[in-house]
Amino acid sequence: MKPHRQKRLGIILFIAVGLSLAVGLTLFALRQNINMFYTPTQVAAGEVASGVQFRIGGMVKAGTIQEDQGSLRVSFVTTDYASDVPVQYEGILPDLFREGQGVVAEGQIDSAGVFHASKVLAKHDENYMSPEVKAALDAAGASPENHMMQPET
Amino acid sequence: MNWTWFHKLGSPKWFYELTSKWLPWLIGAMVIFLAVGVVWALLYIPPDYQQSYTTRILVIHVAVAGTSLAFFPLMAVAGTITLVWRMKLADMVAKNAAPLGAWFSFITLATGSLWGSVMWGTWWEWSDARLVSMLFQFFLLVGVVALRSALEDNDTAARACALLSIVGCINVVIIKYSVEWWNVLHQPSSPLSMSGESANGPEFWVPTVVMIVAVYLFFAVSLILATRNEILQRERKAAWVQELVSKA
Repeated sequence: MKPHRQKRLGIILFIAVGLSLAVGLTLFALRQNINMFYTPTQVAAGEVASGVQFRIGGMVKAGTIQEDQGSLRVSFVTTDYASDVPVQYEGILPDLFREGQGVVAEGQIDSAGVFHASKVLAKHDENYMSPEVKAALDAAGASPENHMMQPET
Repeated sequence: MNWTWFHKLGSPKWFYELTSKWLPWLIGAMVIFLAVGVVWALLYIPPDYQQSYTTRILVIHVAVAGTSLAFFPLMAVAGTITLVWRMKLADMVAKNAAPLGAWFSFITLATGSLWGSVMWGTWWEWSDARLVSMLFQFFLLVGVVALRSALEDNDTAARACALLSIVGCINVVIIKYSVEWWNVLHQPSSPLSMSGESANGPEFWVPTVVMIVAVYLFFAVSLILATRNEILQRERKAAWVQELVSKA
């Protein structure tokens, strides 16, 4: 390679590595702001002040969904299997909303530790299977575990 | 080291003649894979136990999204060749890849939005790093196209776009790992399973792989056709182009 080309290639590599480092460090510093939601464990640990609008993400705990007859009011408990946070919501839920399913709710937490959601979204995992396969795996006790909302270690 | 083979690669005439031989095969393969992939994906994939038939969007979405991530690396390699070796062919490829990449990113966003509206309960979430970084890629690619047309001098435009393409590669890494680095709504990539008795078995991933190959072939054919047009236009004064045109 001719020297002037080598020099140009060197400059490009220098720019690429330098910019990558700068962007990487910036993203690392902003990581908590880039996260879409707090986990119930983080909320329980008091990482979020009350009266502040934020999102919480967890699984809908089995047997905790209580729907009000005659209105769209619903309450459930969201969990990351380490901590639980009760959620209250009034509105239309996504079709995917069910027990054991992931949710991301937006709203505020009150002083009693109840989360009042203004929006509830369903989060699904990356395991796709037909109902037959799901039934067969359940029968064998081998369904893939949902690791979506494990608390950060 | 002998670099003549490398400089031969940069000859527009050589590229034009080589792709004349390749194109019929590439187009044939593309038609077969697209037909099989689309029919299989949209009509024969079993329903998901939770999401029912909406997972059929996944096949198109994943194939287009995966391919859309290839544009910036391709344009960065072509851009580096432009900046270091000043090869005209590399810039012709990069120039035509940018608008194509913008379309791929747009289709990724549109199909993802449709799927999300049904399953997540939202068309769009500004707080999701995967969604926003993909939107950023779309804007960057539109930006590369705009930058090219804003600069009148061909060589200046080529160098500016090359530099922006190299920088854009950083965002590809962010898109790819956004679902692992941060808490987001978007699900991570699915691990493939060889067994039909587990999650993501062959009944889901075989049509997806067929579709990915189909979309990559579509990408290659579109880029080659556009580059050939660019070659004829830019080299219109060359003897071999004059000869080619007079024969036609």
